[in-house]
Amino acid sequence: MKSLLAAFALTTALTLPDLAMARPVTLTTTLNDYGGDGAYLALYVTDASGDYVGSLWMAGGKSKYYKHLTDWYRATGGDTAQVNGITGASVGAGRTLEITLDLADALFEAGYTLHIDAAVEDMRDSPNEVAVPLTADGAGTPVRGRRYIASFAYNM
Amino acid sequence: MTKKTLTILAASTALTAAIGVPAWSAMKAPADGSYRPFAMQSEEGAQTPPLVLASDDGDDDRRWQDGSRRGHDDDGEDDDDEEDDDDDRSAGARNPAPARTVAPPPNGLFGNGAPPQSQVK
Repeated sequence: MKSLLAAFALTTALTLPDLAMARPVTLTTTLNDYGGDGAYLALYVTDASGDYVGSLWMAGGKSKYYKHLTDWYRATGGDTAQVNGITGASVGAGRTLEITLDLADALFEAGYTLHIDAAVEDMRDSPNEVAVPLTADGAGTPVRGRRYIASFAYNM
Repeated sequence: MTKKTLTILAASTALTAAIGVPAWSAMKAPADGSYRPFAMQSEEGAQTPPLVLASDDGDDDRRWQDGSRRGHDDDGEDDDDEEDDDDDRSAGARNPAPARTVAPPPNGLFGNGAPPQSQVK
């Protein structure tokens, strides 16, 4: 019985830090009525030196169009493994994409920046449409994009 | 010895011709069963279909660049049309796995909690 309790305590002790190290974060992106087809969006993170760290989401499932997400493509070489399991449909004009991800706490208050590249068929590519530092204070504050994104906000 | 070799050669050639020519003719026979001389069949063989490139991505990409092929739906939905899927297969470029079919990439950004969820409103 004693050994069972010890094992239980050990597994709890090992599990709790894991739970505390990540939290659900909702990323909400609303597009303008730009009058075109669905937009491809790449959401990714760079570190304090501006180096690519990883991707958070890819809206748009056809890899042949990823070269139009120019900054993301330059950073990743178009490697689709970067967005395996975090890819959804492209987002229509005027629509809102809401993504909830379990993100590491270490992402916040550590100099990381979330970027969004956007591209629309027959329209101009828009790299770095949004760039927001990931901080606790910045949560819930909407940011306007340069061309296609009416507002972007993250909530924890 | 030479005579024997020649005999074997002649026999094997005759055997090959006896088996090969009917088989070749059957493969080249037109669907309507009409006879055509061998030379004509060879000529026909030379008229192969035009070279088809493995990828026709260029056509699709032009829609993203010069605006020459508008006409997609403007309903604001995902434009991943069904017919485009064939293009993807021929392109050789692998599309990423959709969310919730595999785990997110191990890039250090994700925790081990709930899988990604998304909705378009």
